Parts: sequence; structure tokens; C-alpha cells
Amino acid sequence: MNPDPILVAEGVVRSYGQRRVLKGVDLTLHPGEIYALLGHNGAGKTTLVRAICGRLKPDAGSVRLNGADPARTPAARAGLGLVPQEIALYANLSVRENIETFAVLAGVPRAGIPAAVRRAMELTRTLERADAPVRTLSGGFQRRANIAAAIVHQPTLLILDEPTVGVDIDAREAVDAVIRDLRDLGVAVLIVTHDLDQAGALADRVGFLRDGTMVLEGEPRALVAEAYGDQMEILVHLSEGLDTAGEIRLAAEGLEPTRRPGVWTRLDAGGYAAAGRLDARLRKLGLAPREIRVREPSLANLFTLVADRKAA
Amino acid sequence: MKTRALMALAMMRVMALELWRDRAALVMTFLLPPLVFLIFSSVFAGTSGDNLQPKLAVTDLARTDASRRVAAALLKSPDLRAETAPDPAAVRARVKSGQVDVGLVIRADPAAPGKPFLIVADPSRAVAAPLAQARTQQALAAAAPDAALRRSVEALTPALGDLTPVQSARIDAAAKQLRAKPPALKEDLFDREQIAGARKGGAVIAYYAGAVMILFALFSAMQGALSLMEERRAGVADRLLAGVAGMGPVVTGKFLFLTAQAIVQAVMIFVVAQAVYGVEALQHFALWLPTTLAAGVCSAGLALGLVSLCRTRDQAQMLSTFVILVLAAIGGSMAPRFLMPAWLQSLGWLTPHAWVIDAYQAVLWRDGGIGAVYKAWIVLAAVGATGLGVAQALSRDPQR
Repeated sequence: MNPDPILVAEGVVRSYGQRRVLKGVDLTLHPGEIYALLGHNGAGKTTLVRAICGRLKPDAGSVRLNGADPARTPAARAGLGLVPQEIALYANLSVRENIETFAVLAGVPRAGIPAAVRRAMELTRTLERADAPVRTLSGGFQRRANIAAAIVHQPTLLILDEPTVGVDIDAREAVDAVIRDLRDLGVAVLIVTHDLDQAGALADRVGFLRDGTMVLEGEPRALVAEAYGDQMEILVHLSEGLDTAGEIRLAAEGLEPTRRPGVWTRLDAGGYAAAGRLDARLRKLGLAPREIRVREPSLANLFTLVADRKAA
Repeated sequence: MKTRALMALAMMRVMALELWRDRAALVMTFLLPPLVFLIFSSVFAGTSGDNLQPKLAVTDLARTDASRRVAAALLKSPDLRAETAPDPAAVRARVKSGQVDVGLVIRADPAAPGKPFLIVADPSRAVAAPLAQARTQQALAAAAPDAALRRSVEALTPALGDLTPVQSARIDAAAKQLRAKPPALKEDLFDREQIAGARKGGAVIAYYAGAVMILFALFSAMQGALSLMEERRAGVADRLLAGVAGMGPVVTGKFLFLTAQAIVQAVMIFVVAQAVYGVEALQHFALWLPTTLAAGVCSAGLALGLVSLCRTRDQAQMLSTFVILVLAAIGGSMAPRFLMPAWLQSLGWLTPHAWVIDAYQAVLWRDGGIGAVYKAWIVLAAVGATGLGVAQALSRDPQR
């Protein structure tokens, strides 16, 4: 990996009044790396991003963006692109007009604007709708145009805040492809997201922020493997209308309820064979499952563990 | 510096394109001001009195020859819109209900001594009563000159003593002659001279051109400045604050656009004012332009400053309504300032409206020079610059 990181945040502390929102957070990003920042609402993700963007000064610790403090040196922010969660574009303007505007506002030299705008639209695959007003575009196109406006000045660090919230699967895959392409061009990408599937599929590294502290950080597969070893997740789908006695029996089998009603889960190193034995026992107890699934634990499992303070 | 100017221009382009593509807003911005000006000016141009035709209800209780002639003359008069009423109660009822502006009861023979005419007036239409009185006197002189003669003789009797039979006979003969062939009416007391260079509708039209200009300049500027809130909500502000330039050029670009928008609105209003009412805006262009520029700068800066002080769009919307309505009412954009009580007129100087209206009147109506308007220019430009300064400072505050 490139030895020169683009972003180095060290021991960042920040309080709002009495409340400490960041309690000494470290974060380093290298060129050509996708980093997913995870955490519940209020964990401190937004505050950390604002510190990286130079919009607030840490009470302690430091943020270095391309070697300079973004809060003190505006030039440090020249290599930064931010994609807000909302569609931060002018709705009555076309995609091209929007990107042109943000190119000028990002300080792209006048002569280079047409080429820069074209490049941004090519990278985000929005060229075919270049002259359509943004308000007439589908959600997926709007998301990609939103990214295009943030990369027109060729930033070295791109921060995306919930880039796929509220879009369908096809649109999400298109956005993911754009993000991968940018990574392959050497851009460091920081994604703030609740979408754990996206984070697991896309990110080279993930970080869990909990109550202002980075409690876990690393490569997603490695983190999952470390937490779960060779255990598999067994998911049991039951008919609805389970009584308390039934719930007690399921708990006795080591199953835990999930957020989805009628779906219980447990980790087991025995894999498919263990699932077969569990099925037989549940049938004997009169709790015949509608479906049993066996799968590798995902980042979502790990996130639940971390959030519930059962890990890290 | 050049880069920041280009950034501000890019923002002006955004504002212009957004407005151009929102046809409803476009009509509201540029066609509504001249229309509202036309409505206001048609309403208030009448109050100058040059074409007042009060509605008059007449009832004749005397039913003498002279009283019938006076009533008939009033009904025919082109200066009034007179109608007959059956009795004094009907006259009072019509005045009270506003069906007519003023009432006249002919109580006795106009030729006989005493006060034969009773004017029934509504205090809220004060100007109608003296007008009706004057028209009745004219009608008496024109239609019943014999009765007028007899009244004059009656008035002289205390000074001259009783008339001799010969004198009485001469007066009867003269009255008979007057009745048969009334002389052409001549106003022997008054001559009239029009002020040299006075223009039709004049002061009131110049007043309302200025009043509507600043009303709409501020209204449109507040609407435009609300886009700052929209940019905060949609994340455009986040996007730009994460960049090199921040929101500064955005605020500057909006300021320039809103100033230019106010100037275009002013052009629309004054073109109509000149075409329809002959307001001499073109002839006073050298002073009209800086006045318009100062008004535009003031409205743009004030709107941006006020909206920047708000934290939410709801707050900004409420403040905007307050500013547009209350300042306009106090400043004289709705009702003329010269009709307001003195304390309210003084309070008016705290609004840009009063300064703008006064400056336009000075330039276009009073033919004032720079000496008459430089103070207004300074006040308006200072308010605009302060607002812009506040908006710039708050747009940089990263905590907001």
C-alpha cells in the first residue's frame, strides 16, 4: 500500500457542551482504498466527517489532509470531495450545468472545465442524461450525478455520506461500480453508511465507531473470520404465533430472536450437519421450522455484536 | 480574486437559470410588479381630485319652481353622479350604506330667506360634502338665477332698509328676465392657473412607482435569499464548505443576481409608468439609475442578511412575511405615507421603503438634484452592505 496516507486523523477529541462526541479517534486512509465508517446514529460519524472536512476544530488531536490541517489551510481541502446524503444539486439545472457550476466553485481552471465535466460524467455513467434537468432523473441517476459533482475537480479523498440510501438494487450496484472505479483510479474513498451489505461487499477496510470511540477496525472478511472462526450462522424461520413456552424452548436450543418476527438465529461450528440435527429436535418439540438456512456470518452479524457490546 | 469573481458569476448563472425555468416564478417576478403598479396608481391617482365625481342623492321637499330647477340641474350635471331619493330618510340611508357619497335635502324654496339646503355627509368621505355644496351653489346660480338674485336682495335688506315699491317692481322684472334667459355662468371670483410642467397624476404616480418597486424588490429578494436555506437543507452548503471556496462566492453571486433582478423589475415598472402616465424616468435617467441601484443593493443585502440569521426555513419564511408586509405597511408601500399620522411617518424612516419612495419622488416629481437624493443613496447602500456583510460572516461560520 502507498506509504503516504491522504488522511491522518490522530486522537481526535471533540465535545459539544458537556457531551463528548469523539473520544480520541484515529483514522488513516491511503490512496486507492475504500474505507467504510460504521456506527449507530449518534456514534460520532458526522462529527468525525466534519472534522475531516475542516468544518470544526478538534478539542484535542489532529487531522491532516494531504499533509495540512483542513480547518486552518483551505488549500488542504482542494483535494477533498464530499457527496452529501441528500441530492445536493440544483433541480432545475441539467446534470451538465450542475457539474459545470460545481467545477467553477471548486476552482477548476476555466479552460479545463469542459474536459473535467465530461470526465466526471463518464466516470459516473451519467453522460447519456447530461442535458436532462436533475429533477427529471431516476433516483439512481440522481445519486450518480450527486457523485459526479463531487469528483469534477479530481479529489484525492472522496467522502460519501449514505450514498445508496433509498435506491433500488440496480441503482445501488451502479453506484458501487462507480465507487470501485474511483478507487482503481487511486482515489481514497470514505463511505459513511448504515448499509452493512454494501460496506462488506465494497470496503477494503471498515471501522466501527461506538460512542465516539473506534472499537474495531480492519478488513471486513478478516474481522468476521476473527470474530466467528469457522462458525456458521443458522437461521430458523418459524410460523408466526409462537407462545412464551415455545420461545423458552428455542432459547434453550441456543437460538436468539432477530429483528424479523419468526426468525431466530444461532452460530454453530457444525455447519449443515448441526442445522439438520436442530431441525429434527425442533420438530420433536412441535416447533417445525418453515425454513432453515446456513450461511457464513456477515458484517451485519459482527455489527450487531459490536453494537450490543458482545465484541470489541 | 478572478477565480472568486468567476465563482460568483457561476452562482448568478444558477439563480438566473433556476428562475428562467420556473415560469410561474418568472411571471411573478417580472410581470406582477408593473401590474400591481397599474392597479395602485389607478386607485390612488383618483385621490388627487382631478376626476372626482361624487355620487349624490337628492330629495326635494320644497317642490317649488326654483327647487325643481336646482334639482334638475344637479341631475344633469356632468360633475356629479346624482340620483333622486323619495325622502330625507332614504337620502340618509343611502349615504350611510355607502350607495352614495353624499346627500342633499332641499328643505325650502331656494328663493326664500334661510337655509334651504341640507347636506348629508359621511365623515369617512369628507371631500364629497364641500364638493356637493359647491356644485349645488353652481346649480342654483345657473338654473335659478332669479332665486339667487332674491337671496342677494334679502341679504342686503338689513343694510339698505326696506325696498320702495318701484325697487321691488324692478327686481321682479329682472328676476323674470333672468328666469326666461339665464346668463352664461361665469366664475367671477376665481381664475385658475396650472402649475408649469405639472404632469398628469404626478406626485401620486411617482410615489407608487417607487413604492411598488421597493415592495417587489424586497419580496423577490427574500424569495431568492430563501435558496440559501434550501442549499443548507439539500447539502449544497456542506458540499461547498468542504471545498476551497466555501459559501462566500455563493452569497456574493446571489447578492449580484438579486440586485440585477431588482433593477430589471424597476425597469418594467418605470417603463409602464412612463408609457401610461408620462412619469419622466428616462429624462431623469442619470439620477434614476443610482437610485434604482441603491434600492436593489439594499433589498438584496437586507434579504440575504435576514435569511442568514435564521436557523430553519420556517423561521426564514416567517421573517420574510413579516419583513415584506410590516415594513411595506410602515414604509408606505401600501397606503401613502402622507395619509399616515406624524409618528408613523417618522417611524417610516426606519424602513428602506420610505427612503426609496422619497428618493424616486425627489428625482421624478420634485426635479431634485443629487443634493436631494444622496442621503437616501447612502442609507440604502449602507443597509445593503451591512446585510451582505452579515450574510458573508454567517456563511463562513462552520458551526452553523
